[in-house]
Amino acid sequence: MTAGLARYLDVASRFQARGAASEPAWVKRVRQQGLAQFERQGLPTTRDEAWKYTPVSPIAEGHFAPVEDVGDTAALAARVEALALPGPRWVFVDGRFVPALSSVEGLPRGVTLQPLADALRDDGARLESELGQRALAEAHPFTALNAALLEDGAVLRLARGALSEVPVQLLFLTRGDAPVLASPRVVVVAEEGSEATLVETYASAGGAGPTFTNAVTEVTLGDNASLHHFRLQAEGDAALHVGGLHVRQGRDSRFASHAFALGAALARNEVHVAFAGEGGDATLNGLYVGRDAQHLDQRTALDHAVPRCSSRELYKGVLDDQSRGTFHGLVRVRKDAQRTDARQQNRNLLLSEKAQADARPQLEILADDVKCAHGAAVGRLDAQALFYLRSRGIPRDEAERLLTYAFARELVEAVPAGALRQRVEGLLARKLPGAARGGVTP
Amino acid sequence: MALLSVRNLHARVGDKDILKGIDLEVAPGEVHAIMGPNGSGKSTLASVLAGRDAYEVTQGEVLLDGKSLLGMAPEARATEGVFLAFQYPVEIPGVGNLHFLRTALNAQRRVRGLEELDAMDFLQLAKEKSKLVQLDQAFMNRSVNEGFSGGEKKRNEIFQMAVLEPRLGILDETDSGLDIDALRTVAGGVNALRSPSRAMVLITHYQRLLDYIVPDKVHVMAAGRIVRSGGRELALELEEKGYGWLGLKDGPGGKGGEARR
Repeated sequence: MTAGLARYLDVASRFQARGAASEPAWVKRVRQQGLAQFERQGLPTTRDEAWKYTPVSPIAEGHFAPVEDVGDTAALAARVEALALPGPRWVFVDGRFVPALSSVEGLPRGVTLQPLADALRDDGARLESELGQRALAEAHPFTALNAALLEDGAVLRLARGALSEVPVQLLFLTRGDAPVLASPRVVVVAEEGSEATLVETYASAGGAGPTFTNAVTEVTLGDNASLHHFRLQAEGDAALHVGGLHVRQGRDSRFASHAFALGAALARNEVHVAFAGEGGDATLNGLYVGRDAQHLDQRTALDHAVPRCSSRELYKGVLDDQSRGTFHGLVRVRKDAQRTDARQQNRNLLLSEKAQADARPQLEILADDVKCAHGAAVGRLDAQALFYLRSRGIPRDEAERLLTYAFARELVEAVPAGALRQRVEGLLARKLPGAARGGVTP
Repeated sequence: MALLSVRNLHARVGDKDILKGIDLEVAPGEVHAIMGPNGSGKSTLASVLAGRDAYEVTQGEVLLDGKSLLGMAPEARATEGVFLAFQYPVEIPGVGNLHFLRTALNAQRRVRGLEELDAMDFLQLAKEKSKLVQLDQAFMNRSVNEGFSGGEKKRNEIFQMAVLEPRLGILDETDSGLDIDALRTVAGGVNALRSPSRAMVLITHYQRLLDYIVPDKVHVMAAGRIVRSGGRELALELEEKGYGWLGLKDGPGGKGGEARR
């Protein structure tokens, strides 16, 4: 056993030992099974095919641990205001829910948001059958670690036909004052015909030391339900981040994921979508913007298990300095999934000689009556376009910035116009060429 | 004093010499035409004046108002007053035409110590200038040159020149690919921009353009040099007798199809 694994097992065992005796048996079981699965799988290394492009050594070598008490968080109010949009928002600091910074005002009827800790205690009958069903501890070491440390997070429920026009926001802040291990778990259950927008924002606050966020979100979409999911990962320069979004789509349901990976020293963002009913539609958009020595990995898996579903996937990377970005996109079309329509695009823009992009599309098509297309490209700024702009008097850095933004804007404009898009534009502006160096969070 | 002075200019791409000693003096208010067969170096001269870095200047100097342009970045030359209307204007998806042009104008104004124009004032200016070349509003809001026809692209170039008001306009084969109506419109725009303080250099393969924009002087380039200079009548003589009259073949291969366009 490696020293890193032993340390995480020790941290998780201590965490489980301090749990209150009054906690439901099933919750203890989920944690214990998570721990066992984590121990069985161990920390991955780049020798594992699925982790070949993700050097997890900073995670293995760090001394990260969950925080018991977040103490006084009043000083974070201004940071929350800078990051959150008007409307209902829940704020987590170092992985712990902070009611004083949160507000559920404006949640429409039929939409309920509950702290995971409360739901684990009070809603076991329902939650037991939902939690851990989409994100399988046995399939992923970090999902297992998240289960082993299960405590905080959120449960979002959309009743049949419920319609939430205001976005529901979850804001996860980590403070780099201590080597925090944050393991939020979000469970979304959208019943038939419901519609909502969920925004998950990950950002740093306080000190500049390393933190480790290991987040898992599980989404179950009922028949004809619709969810727009936004993930804004803008943690600080020393943060480590592993995020998993696991979605199961019912018949005629619609799911759109907009994943922006802007921050952290090392970040891996996974999106797994399984079609469980015919007529489902999934859009997976992603933009990753790296600079300095950032390492940003995106992994998507679309499981076309049933007929007549469509998926549209567009991931773009902008990589500067010595940063590295990876896109690995699996599209699996099972034997019975006739009339599948799947398209995948990955495009990368390298802004420096040392930046690197790896595009790894992977299509496994077992059905014969399908439309599948994919494309991948890695390129640099167009020298002709750059000269054209400069010949009109636009300085080189501004011209590069214009062209880089032009490359990325398709994904920004996929965000509905309004406060959310402005927030995305603001975070992005801090990352593009010519922006002041330093953290990406306001 | 000449506005533009080119003296003994030599330039090459890789190890291929293309300009082999160009001398050219253009006074304020003048329009000069540079003609010549394909491959004579006309377009290279335009690119070198604008600062395209694919070319290496090995000898000579280029002065604008007595100030050396060589060694200046393209954006600095633009701010000094150089404008190149491209033979092949570049399509730039995702960059709005007006946003681009306002960014350019304000970048130049900043360097000159002038106040930047806000969006409203700029829009007013753009509307007024677009009338010169009858550029439709719809094109102004699209991405730069994206999906524009050949004629629309050339009109967009002249529209940009009208907004940026350069001291020196270099028009590189602005007539190529234009039908007669578009040519008239573009030429009308160029003529409207002639002024006593501004000079223009028209680079063209055909004398047709010079029926609409009447030059003060005509130069003929061949094999990287100016081999003949004269007045307007030189262009007419060339039209009548062809480049062979000067002992020149009509260009070495490559772009040889141009004459049939």
